[in-house]
Amino acid sequence: MPEYRYIGKPAARVDALEKVLGTARYIADLRVPGMLCSRALRSTLPHARIAQLDVSPALKVKGVLAAITCEDFVDHGRFGYPVEDMYMLAWQKVRYVGEAIAAIAAENEEVLEAGLQAIRLELEPLEGVFDPREALQPSAPLVGPHPWDSAGLPRGNLLNHYIVSQGDPDAVFAECAVTLDEEYSTAHQEHAYLETEGALAIPWPGNTGLTVHCPSQSPFANRGNLCRVLGLPVEDVRVIQPPVGGAFGGKDDQLYQTSGQVARLALLTGRPVRMTFSREESMIFSYKRNPVQIHVRLGANADGRLRASDVSLLVDSGAYSAITPFVAWRGTIHAMGPYRYEACHVTTDVAYTNNGYTGAFRGFGNTETTACIEQAVDELAAKLGFDPIDFRLRNCLRPFDVTPHGQPLGEDVALVECLEKARSLSNWDRRREEIARSQPTEYSPGDFRRGMGVACFFHGISLGAEGADSAGATLSINADDSITLTCGLTDYGTGSRTVYALIAAELLGLDPGRIQMLCPDTDTALDSGPTVASRATVVGGNAVRVAAARLNSLLNLAAADLFGCLEGQVSRDGELYIGPNEEPASYPRVAAHARKMGLTLSARGRWSVPEIHWDFDAGRGRPYFAYHFGAQVAEVLVDTGTGKVAVTGLWAAHNTGTVIFPQGILGQLYGGMALGVGYALMERVNFDQGFIQETNFDEYLIPTALDVPEISGAFVEKPFAAGPFGAKNIGEPGMVPTAPAILNAIAHAIGRRVRHLPANLERILLGHDLRKEGSNLACKLGLRAKVT
Amino acid sequence: MKHEIELNGQPVSVEAPADISLLHLLRDYLGLTGSKEGCGIGECGACSVILDGRLVNSCLTLAAQAGRRSVTTIEGIRGPDGVPNDLQQAFIEYGAVQCGYCTPGMVLAGEALLAHNPSPTRSEIREAISGNLCRCTGYQQIVDAILAAALRRKEV
Repeated sequence: MPEYRYIGKPAARVDALEKVLGTARYIADLRVPGMLCSRALRSTLPHARIAQLDVSPALKVKGVLAAITCEDFVDHGRFGYPVEDMYMLAWQKVRYVGEAIAAIAAENEEVLEAGLQAIRLELEPLEGVFDPREALQPSAPLVGPHPWDSAGLPRGNLLNHYIVSQGDPDAVFAECAVTLDEEYSTAHQEHAYLETEGALAIPWPGNTGLTVHCPSQSPFANRGNLCRVLGLPVEDVRVIQPPVGGAFGGKDDQLYQTSGQVARLALLTGRPVRMTFSREESMIFSYKRNPVQIHVRLGANADGRLRASDVSLLVDSGAYSAITPFVAWRGTIHAMGPYRYEACHVTTDVAYTNNGYTGAFRGFGNTETTACIEQAVDELAAKLGFDPIDFRLRNCLRPFDVTPHGQPLGEDVALVECLEKARSLSNWDRRREEIARSQPTEYSPGDFRRGMGVACFFHGISLGAEGADSAGATLSINADDSITLTCGLTDYGTGSRTVYALIAAELLGLDPGRIQMLCPDTDTALDSGPTVASRATVVGGNAVRVAAARLNSLLNLAAADLFGCLEGQVSRDGELYIGPNEEPASYPRVAAHARKMGLTLSARGRWSVPEIHWDFDAGRGRPYFAYHFGAQVAEVLVDTGTGKVAVTGLWAAHNTGTVIFPQGILGQLYGGMALGVGYALMERVNFDQGFIQETNFDEYLIPTALDVPEISGAFVEKPFAAGPFGAKNIGEPGMVPTAPAILNAIAHAIGRRVRHLPANLERILLGHDLRKEGSNLACKLGLRAKVT
Repeated sequence: MKHEIELNGQPVSVEAPADISLLHLLRDYLGLTGSKEGCGIGECGACSVILDGRLVNSCLTLAAQAGRRSVTTIEGIRGPDGVPNDLQQAFIEYGAVQCGYCTPGMVLAGEALLAHNPSPTRSEIREAISGNLCRCTGYQQIVDAILAAALRRKEV
């Protein structure tokens, strides 16, 4: 590997200082003179017709300055990607508890409350549907009228249908010595970013346009929606992204609505308007990770060769689609796991229900399906009497294999290395042997049982067949020789801004301290699509690389001119430019010379991912241009008297290619794994007849420092030709295999399998759920509509 | 009412309603926005401040309860010249910061621990920050940073 000055070397995060000092200004910390506060009136019913809505009484409350409904937007504020089924405020009916119906702006919080109370709202209850399987019955009430413009869909509440198809699994199953046929399921998960959502709109003089500060993941998508629903041209809307207090996929669609609401209120009042949320309101109105029910059939030979898979998925999208169709598609593509099969079939149905709504969440469908397929593979290995790692090594994808989608892989595949590294890092063989030796097969309730499990996975890099996929970056040298760098992708705590600064510094041969990496602002950065799908390092990083190479060549031209030589005769020593006669010139001198020559010291770069294609009807193609591979091992200690599981060890090995920002990649990995611990053991948002049951951190528990063990992570740095400096992604992949590794460890410990997430106390102790007596009161906090 | 507290070593007096939380007082009446609200019910620790040497959730503490007592917020941790103190520096060095929303509370939890226990073990650190939720880091780097600061303070 080449020797780099900044890539892979210790570096501090570009935004760390302001964050440790407490001076970073998040959306709730932004305050401008004359700012109004605002809030939405929300549905208290999961499914209802809006029989009457009159906001004019709110305007009679002293201190309320504006009140809006969907009628205040173009086309009722309809938006959504890929399906345009949502509105800035509900139109005609509400489909979930917490859906925004009207919004007002007022001088202060007290007035706001009185204003909301004054709105005349009549909701006429409609029959709801809360089970995705029931939702697909012909007799089920319809959740949405015209959600999908494609021919043939939706059929009733069927939002989407996807397949992967290779060969005939049934024919192969008939020849298999051992088969497995099991059902698994996952639950709604709350993102639980520590910072709740918010947006601040500041109108321009004469209300000709406005600036919206909003910590969403995708400022350009936000601007696009704002232009459309406000009827403004693109130059009249500016979206600026302040520091984001965590997102994990969860800060898009509901923030587009929030932005639209404050924008309209600001334009109506001519004053800045901000909306922020309590934790309760945030949990009630925001989208979640979708739950999936999965039926897996696997077949193998007695010698441990995996031969066929048949997987069917049922995804509960909830009341709106948000990005769930793509989530489900990614889940479909990865549902069979990273293995070789002679025949493979996957079929996925996505259904509308009135259970809140769902959207993007770290791992994006693959977290859900890997949680299930990796348990199934483990069960099959046990049936065959194979060590779980040996079984995976025997069947996993290797360089130049063809995937079950018909995609030939490249040489970057390093799953074998990841499995072997996870095995050695965790001392797998010795520990498993110790457990077998020290732990009798039979045990009595109250005994503590130790277990170790593994899971491996693949994860398509960037968007895949989900949409156009490119990013842009800009670099410019300022008058004081500092350098300004932008990229249109958001750093919501991931460290991508630091990654970009390091890439630019390496290519320019300049100290990273000279580079000021800005947060996205639609006026200064280039549209780079959404910040999702772990695309920041590869797609954004490549855009920075292209821009930096162009700026670098300008400086080289200037140096050559200064030395009176050809460009190729200029060499570098640190920040110095060296001419053919060993004469040095400093970077500031070269930059000054460039200006004297009349050169403009700025450059842009754009990078698009290589061509991919997917045949949705045939279920075959090249869904992603490349994949991340990885394996994780978990060790647990189960108290069989209470069902309590302690995760006592976690080890990870990921095929990340070149590591650019070591501190950042570990943060992404460990953080993802902690999310996986919660997903495996404790996190579930319950909807009781459409009413969300957990609305704050006293009811919805996420892992604390005592729930997450010391983690050991390693990276297989096999350079990836298409990545900047050979790097792959890490954001989502860190989380994907953690939950199944833990579930497999639990099964190893207690000899019984919990096939439904989360593996909470009662499921481990009793093997089934204790039904919580639901109280709908939990979600009535902050929802004060008058219901008739 | 008039709230009088010793804030970050300075006596402060401010007119504000009697029934507001200390967090509300700090953020909305004193303009100190380093303390964050994450849950409003004392579960997440983003609003942590040190009150007379003890770590408290300022969202659950009435402003009036802090009357004539000493309150340290994140704004009072940095050195007099505005640079980060050794613990804050360790947070930067060890990658204990990601989205940054829990960071002020975590730094204060670390300071409160080190004030009472200058030589904590890793598990004592985990215990001490277990009332402060972080969704980004997995906690390990935060433990590393607090431990590193403890070791450095002992060397001095």
